Amino acid sequence: MTESLSGDFKKALEEIVGCNYVTDDPVTRFTYTQDASLFGGTQSALVVRPGSTEEVSRIAALANRHRVPLVMRGGGATIYGQCKGDPDRTVLLDMTRMDRIIEVNTAGMTVTAEAGIIIDKLVYACKKEGCYVYAPFAPVHMVSLGGWMSGAAGSASLWPDIVSITVVLADGTIVKTGGGPGTNVHQPIFYNRNLGGPDFAGLFIGDGGSFGIKTEATVRITKYPPLIRAGIFAFDEIEPALELVRLHVERRTLQRFDPMMVFAAGAMKNFMGDDDEVAPFTVQAMIQGHDVAELEAKLAFLNRLAEQCGGGHNFLLDAMAESMATPSEDSEMDWMAIFNSFGLPAWLPFTLPRQGFAGVYKKLLAWRDERLKEADRLGLHLRTTWDMFIPTDASTLIGEIDCFFTDVDNPEAIVFIRSLMADFQKYAHSLGSIDVYNQGFMADLNASCWSPGFKRLFELVKASLDPNGILNPGQWVGSYLNEQGE
Amino acid sequence: MTKSSMKELEKVRGYIYSCRKCGVCRYKMTGRVPYVCPVKKASPGFENFSSRGKMLLAQALLEGQIQPSAGLARAAYSCTLCGNCMTQCGATDPDTRKPLVDNTAVVEAMRADLLRECPDLIDEAYRRVLAHTRQYGNPWGMPRSARGKWSKGLTIKDAQKEHADVLLFVGCTMGLNPELARRAHRAAAVLQAAGVDFAMLGAAEPCCGSVQKRIGDTELASEMISGNIKLLNNTGCETIVTLCAGCCNMLKTQYTGLTAKVYHLVEYLARLIKDKKIILAKSRGLTVAYHDPCHLGRHLGVFDPPRAILKALPGITLVERAATRENTICCGAGGGMRLFEGGAFAQDMGREAVQAAHEAGAEAIVSACPFCETNLEAAAQGLEAPLPVYDIIDLVYDGAGLTG
Repeated sequence: MTESLSGDFKKALEEIVGCNYVTDDPVTRFTYTQDASLFGGTQSALVVRPGSTEEVSRIAALANRHRVPLVMRGGGATIYGQCKGDPDRTVLLDMTRMDRIIEVNTAGMTVTAEAGIIIDKLVYACKKEGCYVYAPFAPVHMVSLGGWMSGAAGSASLWPDIVSITVVLADGTIVKTGGGPGTNVHQPIFYNRNLGGPDFAGLFIGDGGSFGIKTEATVRITKYPPLIRAGIFAFDEIEPALELVRLHVERRTLQRFDPMMVFAAGAMKNFMGDDDEVAPFTVQAMIQGHDVAELEAKLAFLNRLAEQCGGGHNFLLDAMAESMATPSEDSEMDWMAIFNSFGLPAWLPFTLPRQGFAGVYKKLLAWRDERLKEADRLGLHLRTTWDMFIPTDASTLIGEIDCFFTDVDNPEAIVFIRSLMADFQKYAHSLGSIDVYNQGFMADLNASCWSPGFKRLFELVKASLDPNGILNPGQWVGSYLNEQGE
Repeated sequence: MTKSSMKELEKVRGYIYSCRKCGVCRYKMTGRVPYVCPVKKASPGFENFSSRGKMLLAQALLEGQIQPSAGLARAAYSCTLCGNCMTQCGATDPDTRKPLVDNTAVVEAMRADLLRECPDLIDEAYRRVLAHTRQYGNPWGMPRSARGKWSKGLTIKDAQKEHADVLLFVGCTMGLNPELARRAHRAAAVLQAAGVDFAMLGAAEPCCGSVQKRIGDTELASEMISGNIKLLNNTGCETIVTLCAGCCNMLKTQYTGLTAKVYHLVEYLARLIKDKKIILAKSRGLTVAYHDPCHLGRHLGVFDPPRAILKALPGITLVERAATRENTICCGAGGGMRLFEGGAFAQDMGREAVQAAHEAGAEAIVSACPFCETNLEAAAQGLEAPLPVYDIIDLVYDGAGLTG
């Protein structure tokens, strides 16, 4: 342990969580300096793995008394870097020991779990009860529920479904937002986010861990549809593909019904043979229903829409579409393996309005192509690209135009990718993309877009809930990239 | 230790840098994968106890960001080398289709560099095993004369004196442990009953070098391998049948230049049973779960032969645990974990494996590796309802009506 934190402090933590779950071992601390991103963090003084909300509460109260910074870490799945905290004085809380399912409530259609749970485990617990947690576009095998609520990958899709969060405030106070069983506003039967008061769950969602430490959450679940099928519709241009998306999403009565994904040039070729023709744009539609006739009718209708838009059903790719629509354990593993096989990733995600999407998307692609030429000049080797986007609701699309390099042990490639990711987000921001990743330098970039009023509100809330600034210090302050030497 | 002294890590740098550090190896959980890393489960669960942390440490060591320390040795040696992290990651080179990240090779390399450069950092228990190997030719410190005692009462050809089609390679653990030696005896009896022309090396049988390689003495293992290849080739046997999954993996994958084809006993027996050379007539009502040894299953892909044997045994009902075949959770004995900090982690891992079999409705666990069986037996003792642990040869011997 560094001199900055006393041995008594460590001893006090050991009394809270037990000796096994506190460490100042330099090797262990080093393993927490990096996550899934290429942006390194700083080494904390201590790493703690708390086991309950009560333990977290006592840790926060202790840290607050001693003005010791706390940095929270879930699955360590961020792609923009984790909060750096205050080097050598920080206590890092590895929240993933808190991974219990508390209740799958099939009558109330909710699942309650500890926030350190990895989404995989949450999904599996619900699946056993014939239900699912809506989790598209997310690395479910490694992202934690707490991280997802705070602003990790794909989190926006989950946010509307969060009905209650248990949060430990900086002074150790435990609050449970919303109304429902065991919350501050007790309602014995069902949960509701704003029952009997303001929507305080919303206050903590997307906060990047700045306002409190999330320890439990209740999330809405959905029944699995009895039958699922899928179809792929191919287009030569992006505009008609997006027109099909518009026609589809605008006629949906339920947002979660029959999701779609658009694969753009580059993505499909990863699954095709060299001689196979790859349609530049393909729309994958998942069709859910109660009997075969209903599914057939829906698919036929979608095909009519696709033809109306100038495309058509591509039966060659249906098998792949089916495997994505009804993922087995094997196919889920295959997807993860595919991504992990591509090489050194430059993740370039964006969130854009559907209106005007095609024009902005083309600009993003052109921007990337220019940067890939630069990579080529630097002697870097592109393995492949991965381009896709998904409508999250009737008005918004999230997507990514990633590229992967084979130069895995080339430090120049890492420097290039860091700048590529940062520059892309700055450019995407300039075109109207604001992403929901509230981590590392993305949090800084998002904060740079805040209005003076919003910034003031943030500061007031932060000062009120965390007056000593111990929770994830440094988050939202715009210094991340400079510290990376960019 | 300088960057240039990390010879073994340099050889696997491609694996180290191809790892995206995404954390799938730490957290993945599905119906068939209740968890990935048994060490993470048995330990306090910090990152250094799981594969992502070890890959990060290997990279830092290679780049000179960290220096060898007792903590680093603890991280390197807290691994069963089971390879489940590799299986669940699934990353393969899109061009060659070979694994892109071999976590076990990286851990072995880290151990090798630490052991060679900073032996004092390595726990005495591991160094004792290596000293025993040099002195006695086996890791367990048993006299050379003890080898071959398992064959007492049987008449078996001496491979160095008489030619035979098959060489029965018993291995140090099965051959030297008096508790396990009866299984070697049974294997030989079954082969004799099936009319197999086989021989043994007896006191001349060498240690395969698996334990030494896994705990980091690559130099010693290499010396052993090259000497052993000569000895084994000189027997003229066309087939080698091993009783130990670790020996089988070693002989099949590391013995370049070995002329004989290598099989584990389960592969060989499955064929004998299929060809009706062994008739399994005696019924024994028992519901069993098969524990795939990591060396045999995940590393060599031998999943079906042991199940075919169990299904051929009258009265035996095979049930599968939730995590089975390539998803099997290590018994806890792999990678020298029984030597790690007094073996407590190994015991905990073993208990999980036994408990999973119990939950699957098994009345007993069957395996095909003396390491797995020893650890599972020890772990089962601590449970309220301990399950008996058998080697598959026990059931075949019984089913074939052999006694004694």
